Amino acid sequence: MRTKVIIFFILINFNVVNAITFSVDSNKILKNLRCLICQGQSVADSNSDFAQTIKIVVKDQINDGKSEKEIYDFLIEKYGEWIVYKPPFNKVNFVLWLFPYIALVSGGVIIFLFLKKRDNH
Amino acid sequence: MLSNIGNTLLFLNILLGISIIYLSLQNLKNRKVLISKSIYHICLFQSTFIIICFFTLVTAFIISDFSIITVYQNSHSLKPFLYKVSGTWGNHEGSLLLWVIILTIFSFLFLLYNKHHAKNYRIYSLIVQNVLILGFLFFLLFNSNPFSIILPIPKEGLGLNPILQDPALAIHPPLLYVGFVGSSIYFSAAVASLLTNYSGKLFAKSIKTWVLVSWTFQTLGILTGSIWAYYELGWGGFWFWDPVENASLLPWFAMSALLHSLIVLERRNLLYFWVIILCLLTFILSVTGTFLVRSGILNSVHTFANDPSRGIYILIFLSLMIFVSVLLFFNKFKNSSYNLNSNSKETFILINNWFMMFYLITVLMGTVYPIFTEVLTDHKVSVGPPFYNTVIIPIVVLFLLFMSVGPQTGWIKNKSYNLNLLLKILIGSILINFCIVYLFKEYSLLSNFIIISAVFLVISSLIDLYKSYKNLKIDTPRIVSHLAFGFLILFIGINYNFSLEKDFNLKLGEKKNFENYSVEFKDLKLQDFKNYKAVIGEFKINNFKENSNQSLYPEIRIYENPSTITYEASIRSGILKDYYITMSNIDRSDYYNIKFQKKPFMMWIWISVIFISVGGFLRLYKNAKKNY
Repeated sequence: MRTKVIIFFILINFNVVNAITFSVDSNKILKNLRCLICQGQSVADSNSDFAQTIKIVVKDQINDGKSEKEIYDFLIEKYGEWIVYKPPFNKVNFVLWLFPYIALVSGGVIIFLFLKKRDNH
Repeated sequence: MLSNIGNTLLFLNILLGISIIYLSLQNLKNRKVLISKSIYHICLFQSTFIIICFFTLVTAFIISDFSIITVYQNSHSLKPFLYKVSGTWGNHEGSLLLWVIILTIFSFLFLLYNKHHAKNYRIYSLIVQNVLILGFLFFLLFNSNPFSIILPIPKEGLGLNPILQDPALAIHPPLLYVGFVGSSIYFSAAVASLLTNYSGKLFAKSIKTWVLVSWTFQTLGILTGSIWAYYELGWGGFWFWDPVENASLLPWFAMSALLHSLIVLERRNLLYFWVIILCLLTFILSVTGTFLVRSGILNSVHTFANDPSRGIYILIFLSLMIFVSVLLFFNKFKNSSYNLNSNSKETFILINNWFMMFYLITVLMGTVYPIFTEVLTDHKVSVGPPFYNTVIIPIVVLFLLFMSVGPQTGWIKNKSYNLNLLLKILIGSILINFCIVYLFKEYSLLSNFIIISAVFLVISSLIDLYKSYKNLKIDTPRIVSHLAFGFLILFIGINYNFSLEKDFNLKLGEKKNFENYSVEFKDLKLQDFKNYKAVIGEFKINNFKENSNQSLYPEIRIYENPSTITYEASIRSGILKDYYITMSNIDRSDYYNIKFQKKPFMMWIWISVIFISVGGFLRLYKNAKKNY
């Protein structure tokens, strides 16, 4: 009974609001882009000429029906990976993406072994 | 004049540091139980001199003595008094002096307040701490001297960077430094503990207060930094995962881990070597952070003071510190037997440390990875908010659940879990999440999990609080901090997911409508202030749903000393939400670019963090009461 109640609530939770939109969110993209001429600011937060240009480029691309990924790829090709705040997963960046999880798993294993060793005492 | 006084005092402090080390080494040889009085006296002199030295610099800033380069470069005679004073530590040289002061005062206080601990341990701590003090004094005197003079004497200073002229930022460095640099004392104590085999509960007792002090102040320091970023940098966020912000967060993770595992060491005499690692790590991370920030190796929004030659010195110093700590650690490390049950408070504290290390490694990795790729592969990458959010947020959910259950468990062996209660809390959390999502009418899978787990922690902590009041076994400090942490994540979650952000261009007199709001550009005027001119806009924000009107006044400021333009956000803080407007001019056009944001529960994020540190202060107070 209790599990049913929980499942019921979880289902409600994930279904009740149908505000999911599949359109491309320009603000989200602009936040993920570095303003190349600023000191550590995103394009969305900057007022520089460069940022204004990129904003127009991104909006045009969205209007052309490009997907989020296509826009990033386009900009990376033009300006290099330096422009995106989320480094793409590739042969240079895989260490960055995988290492935290490796650390997490090995930490868990260490604690597990630590506790298990004691149980064998 | 002031420059001579300052230089003399710095030089005297070097001599005093050397004599403390010499006398301490002599003192180790004799068999007396007590540390000789002369060491106390010299330490007192050392602290007094460095404080006078600091006030000399403050005076130079107040009276605008432009014969001193630091004052000339960072001050201006027309600057308001508060910012003249805070200008003292708003630059590399001055803040380094502040760094040395904290090293010195902590050194003296640690010596003073640990009278009942073993003599050798205290003396070795003092020696190590004075080696650190000397290292930084040399750096200060020969590389970054705050008292260097300039000839001919300029008539007027260059002024402090306007965005640093802010009350939150005036107190930010001192707070953060007490945390950052305060960690040096348990670095020294850890080295001393390894050298003298002064381990276990007594060691834990001797450093407990210092860990707490540094953790509490670090928390407040990070808070003031984010508050400043929120209303000064004009982008409406409070955390950008910028390298400089990360540099303050890294030691915080290490401190939080230490704070918890220290309890295990004190209560059960376990995890000694792990505690030592954390002690060493915290200060090493603090210095690493300083290196990253001051060397200018990283591209950051907060880079105000950097110079490669400083980087080299700090890097050498840092490498030496790491080398010595690692060497010493492996020399002394021995595998001890332990008695740890997998179902006990100890295990949950280990789990806390496990997650803290995960956060630490992720943030460290993200911060330094760009340096490596650039050096090794000539490939420039940026690691920013989307990376950290993707990697960290899902793990926070798990962390919060452990954090809810952990504190209720017993030491040594936990009896049983109240599964029934946990289930009820979970259902309650899901219900509350349902309401929140319904109210804000937005939805994402991950935000649901974050909100549920945060509410789970909040409810668990509240029940904890209620129970402990009933049993009269009140552990308020812990509950306050944990509860506040739960609220913090909850409010951040809501704020992050349900903010409204609009970016549009308006001309004077125009009006923009969207969702339930309209923003009207009512007025524009030019005004003269003491040290800047300002273009001030008036915007009327109409909320149709609540039928309320509010006016906001964002500014474009033109400073003359140094000549800069800054964009000042106008913020209307409310209990439920903040309105946030910035405006900027568009070249060759009558239009202004307007950014409007609605940020729910902003104020509660600050309040939550304040309460996290209130927990720290309460613990300090309780410990002090217990001891006297």
